[in-house]
Amino acid sequence: MTRTVTAEASTDRLIEFSGVSRVYGKGAAAVTAVDDVSFGVDRGEVFGVIGFSGAGKSTLIRMINGLEKPTSGTVTVLGLEVSRLSERRLPKLRARIGMVFQQFNLFTSRNVAGNVAYPLKVAGWSRSERDARVTELLEFVGLSDKAGHYPEQLSGGQKQRVGIARALAAEPDILLADESTSALDPATTTEVLRLLRRANEELGITIVAITHEMEVIRSIADRVAVMDSGRIIETGTAHDLFSDPGDGEGSFVATALKDRPDADDLARIRRHTAGRLVTVSLADAGGVGRVLGSAANHGVSFEIVHGGLSTTKSSSYGLLTLAVEGAADAVEGFVVELRGVGQVREVQA
Amino acid sequence: MIGIVDAYRELDWGYYGPELLTATWETLYLVAGSFLIGGFIGLLLGVTLYTTRSGGVLANRPMWLLTNFVVNLIRPIPFVILVAAIQPLTIQVIGTGIGNQAVIFGMIWASTFAIGRIVEQNLFAIDPGVIEAARAMGAGRFRIILTVILPEALGPLILGFTFVIIALADMSAMAGIIGGGGLGNFAIVEGYQRFRTEVIWLAVVVIIILVQLVQIVGNMLARKVMRR
Repeated sequence: MTRTVTAEASTDRLIEFSGVSRVYGKGAAAVTAVDDVSFGVDRGEVFGVIGFSGAGKSTLIRMINGLEKPTSGTVTVLGLEVSRLSERRLPKLRARIGMVFQQFNLFTSRNVAGNVAYPLKVAGWSRSERDARVTELLEFVGLSDKAGHYPEQLSGGQKQRVGIARALAAEPDILLADESTSALDPATTTEVLRLLRRANEELGITIVAITHEMEVIRSIADRVAVMDSGRIIETGTAHDLFSDPGDGEGSFVATALKDRPDADDLARIRRHTAGRLVTVSLADAGGVGRVLGSAANHGVSFEIVHGGLSTTKSSSYGLLTLAVEGAADAVEGFVVELRGVGQVREVQA
Repeated sequence: MIGIVDAYRELDWGYYGPELLTATWETLYLVAGSFLIGGFIGLLLGVTLYTTRSGGVLANRPMWLLTNFVVNLIRPIPFVILVAAIQPLTIQVIGTGIGNQAVIFGMIWASTFAIGRIVEQNLFAIDPGVIEAARAMGAGRFRIILTVILPEALGPLILGFTFVIIALADMSAMAGIIGGGGLGNFAIVEGYQRFRTEVIWLAVVVIIILVQLVQIVGNMLARKVMRR
């Protein structure tokens, strides 16, 4: 299943990919890392790109600041065609785009303050302006007491917070997050994601985040593109994606969410429960309680055998697999009522 | 043991003392002169090798091929042969083919290419991620070389240069071949050729002390830079 949201031409479109491909190598050994990709990102948005590793996400994000060049197609960022800028003219654009890396990439020869000040030096800020900005940023990321520390004295989460402070230093319009939490543990991930969210909400910065972690998309993304083998196979709001993740074999979202029972799960479920198995996708988790509560009125009983409810940045969604027992007519009546609150699919066991 | 002590007690210190001092100064002169110039050119050469390679900040294949070829051409030539082989050039540049300055000229050639490789190897150890980070911030290529690449590799570079200084002390011992001085020449002329082992050992002890000092200072600096 492939869905695309047609890009409305917008005056506040900061990033536009149009038919972009990137091929490495030549002839028989050629590898297409990015394959005919088109999408746009508007000002103030958090745009997530998710996919398995090797899907081309890294190449994709690096084409935004010109670290990689497309083989064909155009990449337009902040009104400039990046794909055409010379190495000489790229720095000016790059100064307006911050980047956060999976391995943090802090300068080991500089302390925390020195790392954050570096992009400001590049941008030509004066000494006193730099000092003031560094103080402000370290406060923003909660590391004011670590200004004189060197990277090796920091934990992974602290390093990434320095990375974020450094990326935000020169007041960029866009922040690129390249697997920014993939090297971190779950607790630290939450901390870093909260910080990215604050950067978006309080500073109004537009974020493009590539990741293989659903958690990142769920907690910060407004819109999402799903990438597989170099292509964008699905685009939509985070909410659409999670509430109806599609059921194609090997679908990244379905696999990553693990919200539907797989064959092993079904075998286990079947051992313990009888009845008709249905999966309900809820675009809004709100109304489901009332319907489930009506089971007794229909004369059926049910058990939730898989799935659950969760939230994205802006809404709730859910995917529940139920085993419903009772007279066939009664079960059908109950299922009809379920259709009123979500999309219902039969599960073959 | 008494024999050794007696040998040094009976040594004509009025003659060997000043000779040894002069030879020590000459060694320091040979090493310092060739290191200052060879170290600088070698650094440029190493940075060129590292940055012009494909994927480097100044990626330029013809430039890399040329530099790499020249380094591989000069580096294998043994020092004794090199100083003799380049003598016509030495005469052109220095004005004479013999003496300490001619030796320094030869040592510069030998050390430049060795340092080039050592610098290149140490730069390889830098995490490419930090260079990418600097590029992403809009830093220009020469700024990246000066403010990221060299500072990130500074600790290992100091150790590499320390190694080179010691190798130069080794080379300087052959200065006598083309009429240069120094501790090597002193050990051969005053000691070996006159069957005076105790005189050879005087030079050996001074060289050991010099090398130890250089190594200690190098280690200290490197440790300070690497904060270990």
